[in-house]
Amino acid sequence: MRRDAPGALEARAARPWHAAVRLEIDGLALAAGGRPLLDGLSATLAAGERWVVLGPNGAGKSTLIAALAGLLRPAAGTLRLQSRPLADWPAATLAGWRAWCPASWSDPFPLRVDEALRSVAHAHAPGGDAAGTRLAALLRALDLEALADHDVGRLSSGERQRVAIAAALMQDTPLLLLDEPSSHLDYAHRQMLAAALEAHAARGGLVVASLHELDLAWSLATHALLLQGPAGPPGRRAIAPFGGADGDGADAEMRVWAGPREAVMTPARLSRVYGVPVAEVEVCGERRFWVGPRRPEPA
Amino acid sequence: MRLAAARPATALALLAGAAAAALALGLAAGSAGFGGLSDATILWQVRAPRVAAGFATGALLALAGALLQGLTRNPLSDPHVIGVSGGASVGALAWLLFAPEDGVAIGAMLGAAGAASLLLALAWRVTARAQQPLAGAGPVGEAGATVLLLGVMIGAGCAAGVSLLLALAPEGRLRGMVFWLLGDLNGVAAWWPAALALVAALALAWPRARELDLMARGEAWAATLGVPVARRRREALLAASIATGAAVATAGAIGFVGLVVPHALRLAGVRGAAALLPASALAGGAFVVLADAIARSAFAPLQLPVGVLSAAIGVPVFVALLLRGSRR
Repeated sequence: MRRDAPGALEARAARPWHAAVRLEIDGLALAAGGRPLLDGLSATLAAGERWVVLGPNGAGKSTLIAALAGLLRPAAGTLRLQSRPLADWPAATLAGWRAWCPASWSDPFPLRVDEALRSVAHAHAPGGDAAGTRLAALLRALDLEALADHDVGRLSSGERQRVAIAAALMQDTPLLLLDEPSSHLDYAHRQMLAAALEAHAARGGLVVASLHELDLAWSLATHALLLQGPAGPPGRRAIAPFGGADGDGADAEMRVWAGPREAVMTPARLSRVYGVPVAEVEVCGERRFWVGPRRPEPA
Repeated sequence: MRLAAARPATALALLAGAAAAALALGLAAGSAGFGGLSDATILWQVRAPRVAAGFATGALLALAGALLQGLTRNPLSDPHVIGVSGGASVGALAWLLFAPEDGVAIGAMLGAAGAASLLLALAWRVTARAQQPLAGAGPVGEAGATVLLLGVMIGAGCAAGVSLLLALAPEGRLRGMVFWLLGDLNGVAAWWPAALALVAALALAWPRARELDLMARGEAWAATLGVPVARRRREALLAASIATGAAVATAGAIGFVGLVVPHALRLAGVRGAAALLPASALAGGAFVVLADAIARSAFAPLQLPVGVLSAAIGVPVFVALLLRGSRR
């Protein structure tokens, strides 16, 4: 049993993967550097769902992901994992429940790819042969087999990003939080990322990932969180939304929309939030987003 | 030599062998000529304490360097950077100036403790102001750079203090003070405080090696793996302060060892604090014993300050390692 007595009971009562993961966001408000980012966000995220976090630069995507990881104290509202406030979870127990993949890494010291993955261990992590099997499977899933003995500091940005994703998956937690996991990835590796995240959700996991590519977000997600951000869209008065007056208040500051992807990712709303015209197109029977050029702002 | 190919245990065994050889050489070499092992007085009264003190000092400095480099996530960190050795210098010089010469180690210890306490107090304030996001993890933030800068500032203040004391010093005492600053094993009073500090610093940091490795890759990320980041940071900083203070108190400010030894070991393929901390202690100890053996015998009966030799050997070796490393 674990040594720290206060957490031992909960650790037994709620073993990761033994109960359906559930993350409740209740009236969440976040601020960064004294600047409010979002306010009044409520949503319930459940096992098997894949959530994408969308929004323009500075809208608070990374801050939201870090808050869901328990790394930031919200300005207001409560986050509950398994009905228990996130702030009450002992860090060592929480490490078995959620993994966090930051948007950028610095590697000051030499470290091989396989060492970087193998060292991701915590109180609940599988050890020995199970860890070796999982490591091999992840190296294969993210096309890292040939790089296993390379130094992470000598990889390309996209290769380094795949190592970061693999490290988050190596933690083997139901809740998987990824900050811009598709950055630097080429087309084939984005599809590998999508497949890995789908597999994670299919075995009862919950994925939350911030993204910038609408097509990837659509194909990857079951649900979406769209953040307006405090600044509003660049040159928002100039945008003539496609598809009618479905902007539903996107001109207001810090709007957030949460729900199934079909309800949230409407072209009119995306046009408003991103400040560029967005239209829906169908290519080979698949839904795609066409993004047009910005209109110059009228004087 | 690629220690990476070997398992960590093999690498440590190799280094332990090298350290034993360095100790033997240190006992055999001296201003009374090489060998001289027949003279029990020279061997046990003169050379053995000096060799033991040299080994412990080098081990402490290299251990402190390895800890600080990981803690600040900066391979250029060094015990002298965090200002603790500067505090020890001020304490020792003040002692040499105002008190009888034979208690200089006490002055150095007091100075080191003062600088370390100041650094720990300031670092505590910095991390306590950060957010406290995870129960049990304590405040998390990339505080490494701030701690490093605080150390640099304390060091700068101490450097001014050293200049002041040297300016105030009368002619008669100046030579002893300058030699102390250069790093000197010549007048070592006792070797066992340094050895004791080595045991304490290793006992504080080595059991946490795995967690220190995770923190070196990102403190917030380590916190999401359940590492109590703030507590580990304080413990490692305390271990580094003990090590630096004891080393400087024993043998003066021997530069270079703390920066170069851990760095060279990493270039040779030793990675991970579990291997790097003991390997740094062994290699740092062996390095200073060798440098001191040459310092004693090269220009016998004249004895050079060991700091001169450690730089004379270390600089070219380190540059060669860097050039080889960048070619790979």
